[in-house]
Amino acid sequence: MDHISFRVARGRFFGFLGPNGAGKSTTIKMLTGLLRPTEGEATIEGHPLEQELLAVKRVIGILPEELPLYERLTGEEYLHFAGRMYGLSPQETRRRTDELLAFLSLEEERGKLIVDYSQGMRKKTALAAALIHSPRVLFLDEPLNGIDPVSGRVVTDLLRRLAQKGVTMFFTSHVLDVAERLCDEVAIIDRGRLVAQGTLEQIRAQREVGQDATLEDVFLKLVAADVRREDLSWIG
Amino acid sequence: MLRARERAVGLALLLPGLFFSSLIGSFMAYAGVRGAEAHDPEMVMPLLSLIATGVGVSWMLSPLLAGVALSESHDVSRLLHFPLPLLTLVAASLVGNLLQPMVLAALPVLASLSLALSRSPAAIPFALAGSLSSLLFLLAAAQVSGLVLHGLTRRRRFQDLAVFLVIGLGFLMSMAPIVFLSGGARFLGRAMRGLVASDLVALSPFAWGVRAAVHAGRGEALAFVGWAAAQAAAIAAAAAVSAALIERIHRGELDLGGGSGEGTGRAVMRLPGRIGALLEKDLRVAWRDPATKATLFLSCATPLFWLFVFTRARGGLSTSGLLMLAMLVGASAFGNAFGLEGRGITLLFSFPVERWRVLVAKNLSGFALRLPGLATLLAMGALLAPSALLPAAATVALCTFLVAAGADNYASILFPMVAARPGHNPYGGSAAGGRGLGAAALGALFFAATLVVASPFVFLAWLPMLLGRPFLWLFSLPLALAGAAAVYAMLVAGAARVLERREPDLLQRVLGEV
Repeated sequence: MDHISFRVARGRFFGFLGPNGAGKSTTIKMLTGLLRPTEGEATIEGHPLEQELLAVKRVIGILPEELPLYERLTGEEYLHFAGRMYGLSPQETRRRTDELLAFLSLEEERGKLIVDYSQGMRKKTALAAALIHSPRVLFLDEPLNGIDPVSGRVVTDLLRRLAQKGVTMFFTSHVLDVAERLCDEVAIIDRGRLVAQGTLEQIRAQREVGQDATLEDVFLKLVAADVRREDLSWIG
Repeated sequence: MLRARERAVGLALLLPGLFFSSLIGSFMAYAGVRGAEAHDPEMVMPLLSLIATGVGVSWMLSPLLAGVALSESHDVSRLLHFPLPLLTLVAASLVGNLLQPMVLAALPVLASLSLALSRSPAAIPFALAGSLSSLLFLLAAAQVSGLVLHGLTRRRRFQDLAVFLVIGLGFLMSMAPIVFLSGGARFLGRAMRGLVASDLVALSPFAWGVRAAVHAGRGEALAFVGWAAAQAAAIAAAAAVSAALIERIHRGELDLGGGSGEGTGRAVMRLPGRIGALLEKDLRVAWRDPATKATLFLSCATPLFWLFVFTRARGGLSTSGLLMLAMLVGASAFGNAFGLEGRGITLLFSFPVERWRVLVAKNLSGFALRLPGLATLLAMGALLAPSALLPAAATVALCTFLVAAGADNYASILFPMVAARPGHNPYGGSAAGGRGLGAAALGALFFAATLVVASPFVFLAWLPMLLGRPFLWLFSLPLALAGAAAVYAMLVAGAARVLERREPDLLQRVLGEV
C-alpha cells in the first residue's frame, strides 16, 4: 500500500473497490491486525489499532476472502466456539447461533462438518461468525462470492439494515453494480494508491464524468483500464 | 525453471539408485533360485509365488504405504473436458505405466529370474514370458487399486478412514525392527514356512505367471500353458475392471459424493470459559482429523519403544530408566504449539482473547493429546518398576512437560511452521521441511534448556528415593509441581508479551507470506 488515508463515518456502507491485486484484501488485513503495516496508523471506533488490538477485535467482525474455518467442526459447533471466543454466555451463544442458522438457511446443515460444506455454505457460516457478537464495524471481503441469489439478497438486506442501525460496513467486491446499490460511499484504489473517495455523485463531479455514468464507468476511467480488444482471429 | 532443475536432480539421484537396485535384485533372483533349486526344488514354486504375491500387494498398496505410487494411476478426470474417445484414455492410462522407471528396473530382475529357472536355452523365452505376464498383471492390478483409491478420495469419510489406517499400517511397519529384535523373527519365519509348505499362495493371481515360468523352465509344456492362460485371463479381467472404472470416471459415476450427509447431532460445547472452548475445539478437531487421531494412538508407542530399549539394555526397568523415561515423555511437549491450527491461525487470532489464554489452551490441548502416552508410561511402569515409584515418575513427567510446554511457546512464536494453502501439497514449496536449520539448532538449545530448568524439580521429586525416605514424597512431589507450575506461569506471561508484539509477523510467516 502506498500512503493511503481515509476516514469512514460510523454507520456508513463503505465500498473499497479496486482491480485484482490493487491491495483491497491487504488493507483489510492491516485494518484487522492480521498484517503489520511498515508505517502509518489506524483507529477503529476510537481504539488505536497498534496499541489496543484486542479492543479493536472486540468491536469488529471479519469476513475474510480466504475462509480458514475449522473444517472438522460442524457449522453449529463453529458458531458456538466463535460466540464463546467473543465472551458471550453459553445461553446467549446458543440463542444467537439458532437464530443465525435459521436466518442464513443453514439449519439443515448445522450438524455437518464444515469440510463437507459448499463454498456458499462456508461463506454464510463465516458471515454468521462475524455477526454473532454484534460488531460495530464489519469488514467484508467479497461477501457475496459463491452465495446463491436468494441468500445473497437475504445477506444484502441484512447488511443494509445493520448499516441503518449504526454498524459501519467496510465492503470489498468485484461486482460493481452490487457495490453501487449498497454503498453510501466508495474508495477506489489502484496499485496500492487511493485514486478516489466519496459518494458516487462526488466522484462523478470530481472526475468530470457524466451524471448518468455508472460506478463501473467511473471505475474503469479511474483505473485507466483499456477494455477494447480486437476480435479473436478465428472467431467468425 | 526451478521445477525442471529439481526434476533433473531427482532423476540424477533416482537413476543410479534404480540401476544398482536392479543389479542387486537380478543377482539375488539368480542366486536365490539356483540355491533353492539345489537345496529343495519343490520349494521353488511356492517360494516364488509367495514373493510375487508380496511384491504385488505392496506395489498395489504403495500409494498408501509409501505415499508414492510405484506405477501411476492416471487421473483421467482431468482429461474429460477434451473430446477424446474413451478407448484412448483407457489405453493411454494402461500403456503409460509400461515406461515407468520402477517397471523398467524390474525387467532385468525378471530376465535374470527366467535365466535361473530355465534348464535349457530353449526354455528361456517361455520362462521370460511367464515372468513378464506376472508383471503385467501386477500393473493392471495396481491400476485397479489406483482407480479405486482415486474414487475413495472423493468421499471424505472414506479418505479419512484410509489416511487413519495407512498411518497405522506405516506405524506397524516401523515397529517391525523391534518385533524382530524381540524374538518376532522366529514367529514370522514359522509363518512363512507354513505358507510355503501349504502353497496357499497358488491361489494368488500375482503368482500365476511366475508359476508358468517355473514350469516353462522345467520343460513342462502343459502346466506352462495352463498357468499362463490363467494369468492372461487375470490380466484381461483386471484390465476390464480398470476400463470399467475409467468409464465410470468418464461418465462422472465414480464421484462417490461430495461429502457425507450425516450430521453429528446438536452441538454442545461443554468446557467452561474461553480456555475451555479453545481446548474443546482442539480436541474435537484432533479427534475428527484422521492424521491427528492416528498420532494420538501412536503416542502410546513412544513410551513402549523406550521401555523396550531400556528393558533390553538393562535386563529390566531400573529406577533411573523410569526417571529418564518420565523426562522423555514430559519433554515430548516440545513440538509446535500452533501445529493444529494450520492456516486457521488467522481465525484464532481474529478473536479478542487474551494471548496468554490462547497459549495456556494450546499447551493444555497438547497435554491432553499426550495423555494416552503418559497413561501408557504409567501402566507399563506399574508392570515393570516398583509401583511406589509411579507417583514420582508421573510428577517428573508433569514437571518436565510444564517447563517444555512453556519453552515451546517461544519456539512456536519465533519459529513458526508454514501451513500449506488449501489444495496445495503440504510437503512441497515453502511449507516443506519445517522451521529451517537455524531454528532446529535453536530448538535443540531450547530442549537442552528445558531439561536444565526442569532438573531441580525432577531432583526434588526423586530426592526421597535417593534418601530412602519415601514419606518425604508427601512434601517433595507437591513442591516440585508447584515450582514447575510457577516457572510455567512466568514463561507463559513472557511468551504472551512476545506474541502480542509479533502477532502479525507470526501470521505472515505461518501463511508463507514473508
